[in-house]
Amino acid sequence: MSQVLSVTPSSQAESLISIRALSYRYYASSRYVLNNVNLEIQKGEVVVIAGKSGSGKSTLLRAINGLIPHQHSGDYSGKVIVDGLEVLSAKMSELATKVGYIFQNPENQIFMFSVERDIAFGLENLSFKTPDIREKVDWALNTLGIRDLALRAPHELSDGQKQRVAIAGSIIMGQKILIFDEPTSLLDPYTASNVIRIIKNLHDDLGITILIVEHRLDLVSQIANRIIVLDEGKIVFDGEPRQVMYSSNLSVHGVTEPTIIRTTKLLDPGATGPGKSYPLTTHELAHELRKQVPRIGVFQKGSHEFGTNR
Amino acid sequence: MLASAIFVVSLVSHIEVLIVLITFTIALTFAAKIVKRFGKSMTFFAPLALIAFLLNYYVFPVGLLTATNLALRLFAVIASSSLFFLTTTPDELEQVMRWFHLPPDLVMIFVIAVRFVPVLFLDALQIMDAQKSRGLEFEKGNLMKRLRNTIPLLVPLIAVAVNRSLELAEAMDSRAYGATKRPTSLYVLKYNFSDYFTTIAGIVMSSFGIYFALFGRLW
Amino acid sequence: MNLEQIAESAPLSENVDSVVRFTNVDYSHPNGVPALRGISVEFKKGELVGILGANGAGKSTLVRHINGILKPTHGSVEVFGESTKNTSAAKLSRRVGIVFQNPNNQLFAQSVKSEIEFGLRNFGFDDELVRQRTDWALNTFSLIEYSNRAPMELSGGEKKRLCNALVLAWDPDIVILDEPTVGQDSEQKERLAQLVKLLLSEQKTIILVSHDMEFLWPLQPRMILMSGGKILADGTAQQVVRDRVSFSHANILAPQLVELFTELGDLGRFPADEFEARDKIRLQMTAAKEK
Repeated sequence: MSQVLSVTPSSQAESLISIRALSYRYYASSRYVLNNVNLEIQKGEVVVIAGKSGSGKSTLLRAINGLIPHQHSGDYSGKVIVDGLEVLSAKMSELATKVGYIFQNPENQIFMFSVERDIAFGLENLSFKTPDIREKVDWALNTLGIRDLALRAPHELSDGQKQRVAIAGSIIMGQKILIFDEPTSLLDPYTASNVIRIIKNLHDDLGITILIVEHRLDLVSQIANRIIVLDEGKIVFDGEPRQVMYSSNLSVHGVTEPTIIRTTKLLDPGATGPGKSYPLTTHELAHELRKQVPRIGVFQKGSHEFGTNR
Repeated sequence: MLASAIFVVSLVSHIEVLIVLITFTIALTFAAKIVKRFGKSMTFFAPLALIAFLLNYYVFPVGLLTATNLALRLFAVIASSSLFFLTTTPDELEQVMRWFHLPPDLVMIFVIAVRFVPVLFLDALQIMDAQKSRGLEFEKGNLMKRLRNTIPLLVPLIAVAVNRSLELAEAMDSRAYGATKRPTSLYVLKYNFSDYFTTIAGIVMSSFGIYFALFGRLW
Repeated sequence: MNLEQIAESAPLSENVDSVVRFTNVDYSHPNGVPALRGISVEFKKGELVGILGANGAGKSTLVRHINGILKPTHGSVEVFGESTKNTSAAKLSRRVGIVFQNPNNQLFAQSVKSEIEFGLRNFGFDDELVRQRTDWALNTFSLIEYSNRAPMELSGGEKKRLCNALVLAWDPDIVILDEPTVGQDSEQKERLAQLVKLLLSEQKTIILVSHDMEFLWPLQPRMILMSGGKILADGTAQQVVRDRVSFSHANILAPQLVELFTELGDLGRFPADEFEARDKIRLQMTAAKEK
């Protein structure tokens, strides 16, 4: 596996999440969804996990918060250690206090009749005292900016609001790690980019370590410090976003490359060479092009009335 | 209130008592400021009492008094149930269930059932749209054909419901569900004046009911 | 005037028949919440249309009027010249095929094969034709190896493919795909784009309801922007992306290539894909260097 670019020294002892030789096969399935996965994740990282459907992304995430093997029985070998707890022997509820998990469908993760009751769910299960729950619920409502939704019923919320409520309910136990399993795939692009911004804030303000499965790399590559690509249950790429996206053709692994990346690769087939810059956004590419040819595009100006500064 | 009403109704056959009970229930709806919705709910259900009256009076030879009596009994139950469900949100009902120390799993089953009824209803509409768009005509054909036509509706509905429940289970497990046998709550149920009032009223009425049932008269 | 501008100013398939016509359509949900307000729009034979808008903008409500699942509260919808008012969805669907977003909302049969046959039988195809069309669908969508498998056992991507197959099996003239790219990986999206091109070559009218701009843009469809139950903009892809005001109103993000060329100050025809973009940039670089 010479392709694997490692940015983090894997020998580091104090990883927040440490996965060693993890293989897993769902009950009554002949195929291993995860195939000898080794992975170290440090505190404060924002890791994007990409790959085609069925590549094992969701399974990997579930192995970190304990749904695998605790809820899905199957063939499990290897070791997963999360913040000092070994997943296999720890209790599911214990793991829930370490790892928050936000699912794709916002509807199916809000169970109670009002927003604040739902957010309180985790602490109620842990038998916190009422005043303590109140205080933490207020904190979570404020953190997500949904104070005014506190007493609403779930069916009165938009999809974006539901996703915020789900996030609030998942950070309430003070988890150090948050897992997002395709959090934006059912949302429209504008709402999606808002959710991504919230995720970034959770990382920046609270220092939460983020793992996120996301198809839209153009949205997440800017907030991530690391991209992992899975294929057939194996890690095929692991590295800094610019490096991963420019060192190979990700579409071979079912990952849609952002248009801007494809364009840059066409313009400069050797974009991976040393000293090259790797644009991730339209703005960065435009800047790069202007650096090379300052007058680019200028001669077109004035010939159309649709001027804009975006 | 509901409990005491049902209790009284099952014991008492005196028209006066039933009228007092119904009057009291209606008075409470005024106090709870839900007259309009109460009226709506009653216009929907009250005809049942009327049908019961007509049925008893004309079909069975029970006599006017007994028929009126039976109809009033039914009316009293309907009225107090309406009052109960209009004043009690599912959220409060859930807290009461916890207060009675019902097992947490049972409470959650109730909560999820109520919470997801509207969601599954919407699912069912979506499924109907999808199957109509494949040329299925639900309203067409004889009884057998119509029964067969429900399969394309029911199978996906069950699949979707199972899917939702699996996802819910994962989401609940991810939020420490089952960590303790005795979960706490964000809210603490507090008895206030109106709760005391209705409780006492309920007890008084139930006592009268027992008294009546035993001695047949008030004095 | 250069070639690009001529292409742009050419009228939008003017000489082709109109197949769907909305006239002042209002629609309110049974609970009274308005979902469409004053919609007047026309779709033509052989046209590719992308309908964009945030969740709840009214996109799905609009397309459900075309096969008669929903009937307008006010106004009229005509499909192939006939009002949908007195026709059932089951009848209209013979010519208007909708592929819904969530495959789980419709798969019920015991095998992939009988799932495809279901629609064909509902529309009264005879046995021989049912067999032919089922074989065609199984082959075209590479489902032949699954034909005896239970649809429920398929993966998400395969289910989606089956849903496309079972609608296209009865060969509708208008094909509506509701959020076809949700949860699809790059390979599946590529296959979908090819399907759209194939259907276009067969002169079908294709309506894509989607907010996946990066998928729609290279297809250069006629674009309709919706928000709050209204149509904000309607025109060629090139025209509509220039309407910045409607774009931000509809909560839609512009295609990356439009963003790039806008920032570069080049507001001529925006390139549809990365190849066009490369050529354009190279051309400009040489031109700029020469100056």
